[in-house]
Amino acid sequence: MATHDSNRETSPTVTDTLRYWRQSLSKALPSTSSGRVAYVFLAPFFVLFGLFLAFPIVFTLYLSFFKFNGVTQETVFWLDLGFHVIELNEMQLAFVGFENYTRLLSDAMFHQAMFNTVFILLLQVPLMVGIALLLAVALDASFVRFKGLFRTMLALPVSANLVAYSTVFLLLMQETGLVNFVLTTLGFQPIPWLSSDFWSRMTIVGAVTWRWTGYNMIILLAGLQNVPQQLYEAAEIDGANRIEKFRYVTIPQLRPVLLFVFVTSTIGTFKLFAEPIIINGGGAPLESTITIVQYIYMTAFIDFNLGYASALTYVLIAVVSVLSIVQIRLGGENDA
Amino acid sequence: MREADRREGVWKFLTYTFILVMIVLTIVPLYWIVIASTLPEEAFLTAGTAPQLFPGGEFWANFSALQDRLNIGFLMFDELLGTDFGFLGAIANSVFIAVVYTLLSLVICSMAGFAFAKYEFRFKEPIFYTILATLVLPIQLLVIPLFLLMSQLGMTNTYWAIILPWAANPLGIFLMRQNMKSLPDALLESARMDGATEFQLYYRIALPTMKSSLAALSIILFLFQWNLFLFPLVILEGDKYTIPVAINQLVGAQRVYYDQIMVAATLSIIPIFLLFLFLQKQFVSGILAGSVKE
Amino acid sequence: MARINVNTLRKEFGEGSDAVVAVEDVDFQIEDGEFLVLVGPSGCGKTTTLRCIAGLEDVTSGTLKFGDTDVTDLRARERDVAMVFQNYALYPHMDVRSNIGFGLKLSTKLTSAEIDRRVEETAAMLGISDLLGDKPKELSGGQQQRVALGRAIVREPEVFLMDEPLSNLDAKLRAQMRTELQELQHELGVTTVYVTHDQTEAMAMGDRIAVMNDGRLQQVGRPEEVYRSPTNEFVANFIGSPSINLFTAEVNGDTLVGPGGFSYTLENPSYVEGYDRIRAGIRPEDMRLVSEGGNNVDVTVVEPMGNENFLYLTMGDIDMTARVDSSMRPQAGETVQFAFDEDALYLFDAESGDAIKTKTDDVDVGVKEIQS
Repeated sequence: MATHDSNRETSPTVTDTLRYWRQSLSKALPSTSSGRVAYVFLAPFFVLFGLFLAFPIVFTLYLSFFKFNGVTQETVFWLDLGFHVIELNEMQLAFVGFENYTRLLSDAMFHQAMFNTVFILLLQVPLMVGIALLLAVALDASFVRFKGLFRTMLALPVSANLVAYSTVFLLLMQETGLVNFVLTTLGFQPIPWLSSDFWSRMTIVGAVTWRWTGYNMIILLAGLQNVPQQLYEAAEIDGANRIEKFRYVTIPQLRPVLLFVFVTSTIGTFKLFAEPIIINGGGAPLESTITIVQYIYMTAFIDFNLGYASALTYVLIAVVSVLSIVQIRLGGENDA
Repeated sequence: MREADRREGVWKFLTYTFILVMIVLTIVPLYWIVIASTLPEEAFLTAGTAPQLFPGGEFWANFSALQDRLNIGFLMFDELLGTDFGFLGAIANSVFIAVVYTLLSLVICSMAGFAFAKYEFRFKEPIFYTILATLVLPIQLLVIPLFLLMSQLGMTNTYWAIILPWAANPLGIFLMRQNMKSLPDALLESARMDGATEFQLYYRIALPTMKSSLAALSIILFLFQWNLFLFPLVILEGDKYTIPVAINQLVGAQRVYYDQIMVAATLSIIPIFLLFLFLQKQFVSGILAGSVKE
Repeated sequence: MARINVNTLRKEFGEGSDAVVAVEDVDFQIEDGEFLVLVGPSGCGKTTTLRCIAGLEDVTSGTLKFGDTDVTDLRARERDVAMVFQNYALYPHMDVRSNIGFGLKLSTKLTSAEIDRRVEETAAMLGISDLLGDKPKELSGGQQQRVALGRAIVREPEVFLMDEPLSNLDAKLRAQMRTELQELQHELGVTTVYVTHDQTEAMAMGDRIAVMNDGRLQQVGRPEEVYRSPTNEFVANFIGSPSINLFTAEVNGDTLVGPGGFSYTLENPSYVEGYDRIRAGIRPEDMRLVSEGGNNVDVTVVEPMGNENFLYLTMGDIDMTARVDSSMRPQAGETVQFAFDEDALYLFDAESGDAIKTKTDDVDVGVKEIQS
């Protein structure tokens, strides 16, 4: 079928020339069998994954058995890349065995951080999931109009930067801030939101709830929309009222999504850092709001006790991983 | 029937009231920082002063005070121009880092996801499950070894130090692999017969058909980087601060500059708000993509 | 244009002891410009064979030649073949124009103006010129099918490969596309290999048919050849609709004794010399109802088709089918007698399934001729 080659009257355009150049380039490349092509696609991932994830995971564990005494001037490795010189210096590490871990057991500050985190978590997670669920159910109701607009407004905090929104609460919760103004106007006593142990934790609970309720509502709303309408109709025919439908249809159908929301929120609260550090900085007593991650940060980068901080990190990683696995188990069970 | 109608009406009223109260509680703090950023500090911190409902005229005064307080550069422009950019530098840094990170991570995760979904190679399953296992780890918390690594590599106070560590994002590769799996093999074979190279299969066939999942993933990645605080706090110095670290700088132990903080918070929230309003669908699908069960 | 030579093709999936043989010892030749249909039940290896020809699968052993060129180790894009996939595999993100032109853009040095012209010519030939700006998801099944064809035609390849291209269309469109496809192929004269599991489609479309089963080639021949002179029981059973009536019969001298009191004395007993048992086959259309002198069968269901009647019968424990004139209308439950011409009788070896005797009424395509 060479009929067309004879009447090739048009001349190549710039894009054509570019195309020919690309064609010859791709022909010039060594032809790899498809199995090996996969490694080419994977190479960048593996390099970054190995260097910045796999290695740190292992190295944190390693460090947690040592006392870190700084970096010496001794060069152990030297590589000139032309644009950048890599120079690895020897680290001074003293092996201490399980000492970092045993120290955890009697570290009052660690216990305080653990207590604060769990305290915040026990109040915040149920409060937030409860509100998010009620909002999702309300927005899912057939008679509600402007659903899109309402959903957008409720989800707005998702776009707020974690540190930026924390400062907002710092301002709102001042002794003379907006919240106390509203309270005194209504005839209540002003509340020491940032200076009392209890209330400064409540400030964090409020801030986190404000930031994440809309996010979780979106997930729950998507879950609700997957509940087959016939189930509600069947329940209605069986004589169920609104509350009973919620209790016997919505909740069981939503169980996997609810579990997901509960566990991710729990994990999120374990990782709390920006909120307490801002609210601390703004005057809340350190010990009442210090969280585990904040304690790790202070141990590692203010006291420069990297070995102990590594042990703390591993304890936290262990807690969070176990929670994640529980989540996968519970979530997966319902899918099967 | 009238009794039922009345109860229905009460129910509707309660539902709307609940939604509207929640919307007010959601919006008021946001509205308040915008208002506060335009007021002198006394106007919103003096006891008994009624809150203002409308903006005042102090925004530029607060803004220039904020600009004076921070000395933040952007790329090499501060040296080129011989001046820093104040807090605007932090916005530029944050946007730049988040955009570069998102693009880089999209490329890396989609290539790897494509390989895992569409090729057979040795140890494929064990490798994939190893990556999957790291999905349960809070990867933002690996700051100690990363700090040591970056200082050893001479990369502290560089943009790369906070771009590279999470570019090989386990959630990203997992999502891409799941989505690429749904790509019909016949489509790729068809392109092979049309003369496409393996790389062309990836960027001319796989990527364009994955547009919506790429959009969802880019939202996840962008917000992940945008909200990073701990590691930038450790690794960056004053001239390269991102928004979170820069704002943290204003919350001092001696004095908290509320007026300036409110300007900074307003400025930092506005761009993402706009993005959120325009890309709402992608935000929602991003949130839902992030919540898929393994 | 090319003649295709498939030589002792073998394809295994998996490695070592887990290896599964998908295609074994397949040998055939497709003439230049010929339309060959690969047909067989699902899992018979027909698609794998096609994919080996396409270059989408590496062969385990054997060779493939297009004309004089050995293409065994060439990749798909170096073979100058075009393929139409079962689900069309249209690129969802490209419009029809880009879909058709994609191959030309990637692998030829044509200018974009020329590519456009050829895309438009092809679209005009297929009657889809109006659709060039549409995305695949805006098209109907039949239109998508045409785009898929256009994508293959525009490349002017040496070989067309089609993997069940009509199976996703509804019955009426399928019949229409069948004819169109044949006409198109004759017009273009491109060597075509067409895979289907539908024997009616195979019979209707193929210049020749290659029947496969269990990874092995059973028979290659013209449609009437495989129909009239199948090489074995499998082919006889697979080709023809409704299927041939098959049963085991004892050989008693020159008489065949079968289930339900079946008895038939051969006019020419030389076929069954040396056999104790044999498999006998009669096509439904060769069954005649007679008033006397035939074998008894019980009628279970009568299906009037208008122009003819299908009778579902039982003879002992064997189910049989007969296609008879619409004037023949026995009642369900009735016992009738049937007869047949010995010319139309098929006999197969009971152990190996190989054909012993096939239709002999027409000397033109006797089994002897093919075997020689």
